[in-house]
Amino acid sequence: MLLRFGFAILLAAAAVGPVWAQQDPDKQSGQQLVENSIDRWNRMSPAERERQLAKLPPDRARMIRQRILRYNQMNPEEQQALRERYQTFSQLPPDKQEIIRERLREFRTLPRLRRPVVHGEVEQLRLMPEAQRQTRMNSDEFRNRYSPQEQQIIRDLSTYLPK
Amino acid sequence: MNCPIENRNSAMLVAHAAGELDPLAARVLEQHLAGCEACRSVAAEQIAMWKALDAWEAPPVSPDFDRRLYRRIGEGAPLSWWERLARPFRAIPLRQALPLTATAGLLLMAGLLLQHPGSYAPAPAPHSQAVRADQVESTLDDLDLLRQFGTANSAESVHNDAM
Repeated sequence: MLLRFGFAILLAAAAVGPVWAQQDPDKQSGQQLVENSIDRWNRMSPAERERQLAKLPPDRARMIRQRILRYNQMNPEEQQALRERYQTFSQLPPDKQEIIRERLREFRTLPRLRRPVVHGEVEQLRLMPEAQRQTRMNSDEFRNRYSPQEQQIIRDLSTYLPK
Repeated sequence: MNCPIENRNSAMLVAHAAGELDPLAARVLEQHLAGCEACRSVAAEQIAMWKALDAWEAPPVSPDFDRRLYRRIGEGAPLSWWERLARPFRAIPLRQALPLTATAGLLLMAGLLLQHPGSYAPAPAPHSQAVRADQVESTLDDLDLLRQFGTANSAESVHNDAM
């Protein structure tokens, strides 16, 4: 068993080590606001960007161009806040990231008028101590106020979404 | 999902090879593997390694191993300090000592690689800063989800616009 894990760890490290090494050193230190892939994209030469985009279908490439443009044109405060949120999110374990993604996608499909209500509940719960949060989520009021899907969204986002 | 290699989460690929991921995470990862050659390659190597290790069996110890060992210890003349130091290791036959030594070496190397990946990485190629367009797209997707949830209480939320 020990030998097996030794091989597995070594193989994984050998495969991933060089990729990690090419990433920004700040990202390895963890705490400062570090470059995300869009920042690195922006630092690439226009020719290199086009080379990368040419590997995708034209419509998809065009959409990515537009989305990057919109990101780059965000006002600086909003972009900074989003970058911080994304950095905290991207440092979570992948399984937690995936749960958050799933719930945020579900959140997006909620009726428009329900979204602010669910969002407000998540934000309130995130501020509560764990015991109080659990009490609230197990209450009849909570169950009566939210559909099962909303309850799941609220539970997972208030648990896993970075503060 | 975000690329496990990009996210420095090779543990997810190792866990997948070991069959230890929960069904949801495994399904998500398999979808990612279908579109990511780098991860697919690492995952395939992991699975091949586990299979090879499954097939490996330690050679059996001979029935009179203990008897011969104690006899040789008993026959020994007064030992120098160096021989006394080396004596515990002599008890292990070469065939068994080699895998143990190899495992220890592998674990040591894996530890070093994981802790200081940069020290063992090849020199980055001139295009090492290149970011794939689909990585950028994935980051944009996450940013969108986070932004839309973050603005769910504002008028912007009803537009549900992608970045």
